[in-house]
Amino acid sequence: MKAKEITLCAVLTALALALSYTEQFIPLQLAIPLPGIKLGLANIVTLAALYLLRTKYAFWILLARCFFGSVFGGGITALCFSLLGGCLALGVMALAKKLPFLSIYGVSILGAAAHNVGQILAAMGLMHSIYIGAYLPYLLIVAVFTGLLTGAACAGVLRVLPDAYISLPAEMRR
Amino acid sequence: MDLRFRKGDILAIAAVLALAAAVFALFLPSRSTDGAVVEIYRNGERLHAFSLNVDRQFTIDGDYTNVVTISGGKVAITESTCPGGDCVGCGWASSAGRSIVCLPNGVEIRIVGAEGEVDFIVG
Repeated sequence: MKAKEITLCAVLTALALALSYTEQFIPLQLAIPLPGIKLGLANIVTLAALYLLRTKYAFWILLARCFFGSVFGGGITALCFSLLGGCLALGVMALAKKLPFLSIYGVSILGAAAHNVGQILAAMGLMHSIYIGAYLPYLLIVAVFTGLLTGAACAGVLRVLPDAYISLPAEMRR
Repeated sequence: MDLRFRKGDILAIAAVLALAAAVFALFLPSRSTDGAVVEIYRNGERLHAFSLNVDRQFTIDGDYTNVVTISGGKVAITESTCPGGDCVGCGWASSAGRSIVCLPNGVEIRIVGAEGEVDFIVG
């Protein structure tokens, strides 16, 4: 990787980590008492990377975020959860982005839902239990709202970003 | 780049809600409360099975300690030494098919209906 690529990926990884750290101070669980409920703010970075950069950069940023996130707190269990959820979300969003009738909002909602599906799958594997799947419907309903929220946040960023983005190296742009 | 909400996005919402409904229907048969049993699992291994209709309180020791309370046909983790305390935040569960999970402690508390596969009931 060239210096510019490494730098941009590092900055976006740091941003994603900062967002997931900030997220724990937002007491969403008080309003919706379900385990694993969160806004998924770090997904804003994945989403923005997917819209601005080639998919491989979004993937590297995601991997680095999951890895460092588990180093700074959470441990190996959290790594399984965020990797499975994050990779599934990225895969679904990359595919959904190709659908001509979806805007960034639809892509974001599908990504949030895929993230929940991945986490429930990880929990099923970890707990050796399919009953945890009974939580999925509730998580999916919440995902529609959190997906809309992160989609709106990302759309807001992308609306004001293009001027700065012109200075990206051509090989990183999509 | 499409940064505006479009009509097509409603399809994405509909797809997610349809999946939610399908999964909900899938787990529907396991929801009934008569003769329900509380099963306690740790790391996939069943430790106890208690009737949901008999009040009791007990602890589960592992990496952390969970205090489980069964009261008035409901079950909850009422105290926990785990970081985060999401399991306590889950509150009370009363219907079959619901479960309360404390991931840091590897604990799952599951309510199964009367026709669930139960070997023995203590109490």
